Amino acid sequence: MIWLTWRQLRVQTLAALAALVLLAVYLLVLGARIRGAYDDTLARCAGGGGCAGQLAAVADEYGGQVDLLGYLLLAVPGLIGVFWGAPLVARELEAGTHRLVWNQSVTRGRWLAVKAGFVGLLGVAVTGVYSLALTWASGPVNTLLNNRFEPALFGARNLAPLGYAAFAVALGMTFGLFIRHTVPAMGATLLVFAVLQVAVPSLVRPHYQTPVRTTVPLTAPLISGLTKIGTYGEIGGLRVPGGPWVVETTEILDSAGEPVGHTDWYQDCTNNKSLTEMPACLAGGNVHVDVSEQPADRYWTFQWLETLLFTALAAGLCALSSWRIRARLT
Amino acid sequence: MTPVLQAVRLGKRYGRHRALADCDLDIPQGRVIGLVGPNGAGKSTLLNLSCGLIKPTEGVIRVLGAEPAANPAHLARVGFVAQDTPVYGDLSVADHLRLGARLNPGWDGALARRRIARIGLDPKRRAGRLSGGQRAQLALTVAAAKRPDLLILDEPAAALDPLARSGFLDDLLEAVTELGASALLSSHALPDVARVCDHLVVLADHRVQLAGDVVDLLAGHVRITGARSDVERLPAGVEPIRVEHSPGGSTAVVRAERGPLPAGPWRVDAVDLEELVLSYLTRANEGTSRPVPKPTEAHR
Repeated sequence: MIWLTWRQLRVQTLAALAALVLLAVYLLVLGARIRGAYDDTLARCAGGGGCAGQLAAVADEYGGQVDLLGYLLLAVPGLIGVFWGAPLVARELEAGTHRLVWNQSVTRGRWLAVKAGFVGLLGVAVTGVYSLALTWASGPVNTLLNNRFEPALFGARNLAPLGYAAFAVALGMTFGLFIRHTVPAMGATLLVFAVLQVAVPSLVRPHYQTPVRTTVPLTAPLISGLTKIGTYGEIGGLRVPGGPWVVETTEILDSAGEPVGHTDWYQDCTNNKSLTEMPACLAGGNVHVDVSEQPADRYWTFQWLETLLFTALAAGLCALSSWRIRARLT
Repeated sequence: MTPVLQAVRLGKRYGRHRALADCDLDIPQGRVIGLVGPNGAGKSTLLNLSCGLIKPTEGVIRVLGAEPAANPAHLARVGFVAQDTPVYGDLSVADHLRLGARLNPGWDGALARRRIARIGLDPKRRAGRLSGGQRAQLALTVAAAKRPDLLILDEPAAALDPLARSGFLDDLLEAVTELGASALLSSHALPDVARVCDHLVVLADHRVQLAGDVVDLLAGHVRITGARSDVERLPAGVEPIRVEHSPGGSTAVVRAERGPLPAGPWRVDAVDLEELVLSYLTRANEGTSRPVPKPTEAHR
């Protein structure tokens, strides 16, 4: 049975492994260069001050590349689910070959288990190697930016991608078994996987543990790091020192806790100052925001919980498929 | 000896659609069983139930004394060639034999290689490039080389031209003899069945119309020809299956349950298998396409 699975999937397996080797080599080279630049910069600035600025330049230089590789890693489990998971059973049902293979001396439960196990392990291994290489290569950049808890990075480093891969394969296989047509099953897999990749970080992950409410004084450096400063005091992209995951922020508040968005001095700061002057202008108002955040030291708890959640979903789908293939046949 | 196929009130529904109903069968081992009937009569349904590809919604089916496809040991005892003889298009002929060897503990590699060599298939050829006849032969080889006790074939010769068909059927008989197995095959071509089968099951309108050893069936049915009034008044124990009237007289294919028909004002002839099956199919067809004729109507 393992031989048959290998024989049927060997072309795509070898192609995937070849792509993985190329990617891993690229990541090793990239990682070595990032580490080299980081160490050089540290050595050069060790004498005088101003390390922070020079290190930030290193992070800037490689940040874009690392981000792109991260987005690719977010997509890889989805691709595996769509191109390996969905056709796994659907293609056999479509071609009628299930009627050949289900009448060999192997029960169809075992047939499904071996196929799913092979592709599942392969998918998890490919994703795992990629994640390991990317986590290593981007290490210094993420340490400098202290942003590994942010949703786009959280799902593209360490353990979480392994859970996504297992889930995506199981999802594709299940859709294939129920829909019985390859292309619709691929579409359904892609849709559900994409929806979950948006829904889980925004709706589920914030509640793994109760968020901590705290107050963050807005200093000029923090303000200049924001991605959004709204007309009436809303902000976005707040990065708090220490690397917690900021789940929610209020609008900008003054020392009495009142919103400052409609005050004259706020409007003056945002409308009449240049972009370089504005942070200092706003910070001069002694302002803060209330945030609810997941502290940085919860990162590994969250990684494990996320991985467990998706692994459990994958196990549930496998159980459903196993029941389906035994009980309701053809 | 355990019957090769046993069915009690067997039925299969797909939602509201009834594919097979009230099927009672008890077929002994060692037969080549022909399953005939028009398209949509439920032949494939009965075969898929027999090999365990689908499960019944009513009644019970036992194949070689056990529930079909219940475990690997039972799967090993039944070989199945599905309709349109599916094979893996991107695997080669040799790959199919390796598949059989890997998935079946009782695989007879020598038998498989011998058959492939005799048919003249190139082992390196991809199965997707084979002709319909070659594909059927490959599928039959994979099913036969696991050395099953029962070989089930769903319209195996449907894709073949008449010449290939006759060769294929000879080959099939030979394989069954070599294995010492029973065989169950469906066909809508009566001559095929008449040629190779020694047991017959006639399906029409989702029900079994007739089942039995061919010899017994032929012995139990005759065609009588005589005056219309005589043919319409048959003695007890003689059941008309299909009656045809013409100005010159009437003909009826009848079942005589208790031995030979008593002498009467008619001529008695033996029927052949084709006529017998057609009589039952016609009766089933009349039963569904118009209301059952009332006794008075018959005398009009």
